[in-house]
Amino acid sequence: MMAKWLEYARIAGRQALRKRARLLLTALGIAIGVAAVVGIVSLGEGIRCQSVAMIEEQSDLALIEVTAGLHGGTIVPITASKTASIASLPHVQASAPVVKAAFATRQQTYLGVVGGRWDEMVAVFDPVLHQGRGYRAGSADAVIGRDLADQLLRYEGIRPGDTFGVLVREYGESGLPEDREGDLAAVGILQERDDALDTAVLMDAATVTALAGERDTYDAVYVRVDSPENVFSVVEGIEGLGLNANGAFEEIESVNNLMDVVILVLSSFTGISLVVGALMIVNTMIISVFERMREIGITMAVGASQSDVVGLILLECLYIGIIGGLIGDLMGIGFAAIINTVGRSLILDRLGANFAGFAEADITLITPQILAAGMLIAVLLSLLAGIYPALKAARLNPVEAIRQM
Amino acid sequence: MTAIVATERLTKRYGTTVTALDDVSIEIRRGEFAAIVGRSGSGKSTLMNILGCLDAPTSGSVAIGGRQVDYTDRSALVHLRRTAIGFVFQQFNLIPNLTAEENVEYPLLFNYRERGERTERARALLERVGLPERASHYPAELSGGEQQRVAIARALVHDPLIVLADEPTGNLDSKTSTDILELLRELNRDRQTTFVVVTHDRECESLFDRTIGMVDGRVVA
Ligand SMILES: Nc1ncnc2c1ncn2[C@@H]1O[C@H](COP(=O)(O)OP(=O)(O)OP(=O)(O)O)[C@@H](O)[C@H]1O
Ligand SMILES: [Mg+2]
Repeated sequence: MMAKWLEYARIAGRQALRKRARLLLTALGIAIGVAAVVGIVSLGEGIRCQSVAMIEEQSDLALIEVTAGLHGGTIVPITASKTASIASLPHVQASAPVVKAAFATRQQTYLGVVGGRWDEMVAVFDPVLHQGRGYRAGSADAVIGRDLADQLLRYEGIRPGDTFGVLVREYGESGLPEDREGDLAAVGILQERDDALDTAVLMDAATVTALAGERDTYDAVYVRVDSPENVFSVVEGIEGLGLNANGAFEEIESVNNLMDVVILVLSSFTGISLVVGALMIVNTMIISVFERMREIGITMAVGASQSDVVGLILLECLYIGIIGGLIGDLMGIGFAAIINTVGRSLILDRLGANFAGFAEADITLITPQILAAGMLIAVLLSLLAGIYPALKAARLNPVEAIRQM
Repeated sequence: MTAIVATERLTKRYGTTVTALDDVSIEIRRGEFAAIVGRSGSGKSTLMNILGCLDAPTSGSVAIGGRQVDYTDRSALVHLRRTAIGFVFQQFNLIPNLTAEENVEYPLLFNYRERGERTERARALLERVGLPERASHYPAELSGGEQQRVAIARALVHDPLIVLADEPTGNLDSKTSTDILELLRELNRDRQTTFVVVTHDRECESLFDRTIGMVDGRVVA
């Protein structure tokens, strides 16, 4: 069976090669459409890739903040067993379950407090101390982010090593606010990091709950993933536990979603040229069936069934598709290169300095998937275009076809 | 001898006015070398096409190899064309972009045989029809007589029960025509293949076992 089709393919190849110029021109019709799609999609992919690279550069992608999830209207809290499950997810390098609280200094400076184990914090955030040391378990030690520390120094004169009073606003059983008081020791100041830790107070979890109230769940888990590529698989694992995952990866998700839509819209517009190419194939094949009417009749007389005839004609279309796909992919690569050189300066002019990252890099990206898709489109479209001419050939009346001269 | 092809009251009408075949009942016996003669328009080609399962009769029946042909069963017709019937037409029988050898093999593609067997049979037949050294030539490079020899080889390549040749010499000069008809006769003797040949060559009538005359769609004695 297979061998038979290989033979058919050979015969169809001979037929296709009979009119080389026609074959090439027809293939070119489909190739131009493929090239346009490949070029446009490569531009979209290039921009996507650059944007993602920019996000990666500007943010800590491998960090995920896990928060309580919502499932069917009920909250899925972060229990100790959930934190254990998170820690054992593949690609999770370190995780730090934390409790959060809002304190205020006596002069009403807001303090966002994050309570966890220092060693876990170190493993997840890799903090560098600007001054002092880390906090100890069970103590009132506090490590303060750089921006907050500057503020406390400037407005309240709190320096590293100082102990300072804090207020914790609690709501009692009566619903009225009850302020509690406590003391914290500013044992360390973090170096500036350009993230949320710059304005946070890091402390031991037990000290936070002693002041802000006991609880049996965590408010968040910070997760360090071994590498940015694995973030999405870890996020999936976390969401599988019913919890929420937040982080810089969400920006990538939204860039991806946006670019998916942009690429889809642009490629469907350029796809119109594919329709023209397909119509050219329909036209060429109808002409060629008409020209070969007698031959097709003889082929039927010597034993070809209708499906043999359909197969032979579709195989010819397959060749047109393969040649069109190849030329289209090559032209698409060229097209992408042109967009890259001509388009880059244009895009840079418009976007300004914020997108200086684009200056070095390519704004188009040809991936094997794009090329494979270009080939697939060409082949499928050619086969589709061949259906009508093939059926027309198969339905020829052999007696009349043979009478043709 | 048994009838390899038998028709029974075969009629073919086109519309209501044209009766191309009118109540034709004939028998062709195994191994026979039969001629069909008649004026233009007498229904010779129509009969050949129906016998060859390319066309269907309006009424009447045909039996090939002792079995009734069901003209409504497309795949049965294809099967008969693949296995039981060989065709030679008047001219332009060959596929232009296939070589002589490939043309001879062509039916074996649909009647699938291994490449080795195909080549072997095609070579042997090309040799038999006297064109061993033209195997790799294209039809356009062959004379009309040579093309018909290739077509004859093609008609025999799958060992059919019967070869139907519709004016195989119609476009050839008389010397070449005689050569071709003599070749057909030899093949008929050597291979015991049954032949039905439509011909205008009165001189060669002696070559045939029997001559079936047709007038206005009817068989005359
Ligand atoms: N498709 C058709 N529609 C209408 N009439 C047809 C058709 N095909 C054949 N005929 C008619 O049927 C009759 C027999 O035709 P046929 O081709 O069998 O003749 P023939 O004996 O082979 O003639 P020739 O020697 O010229 O080849 C003719 O009158 C022809 O006009
Ligand atoms: Mg005729």
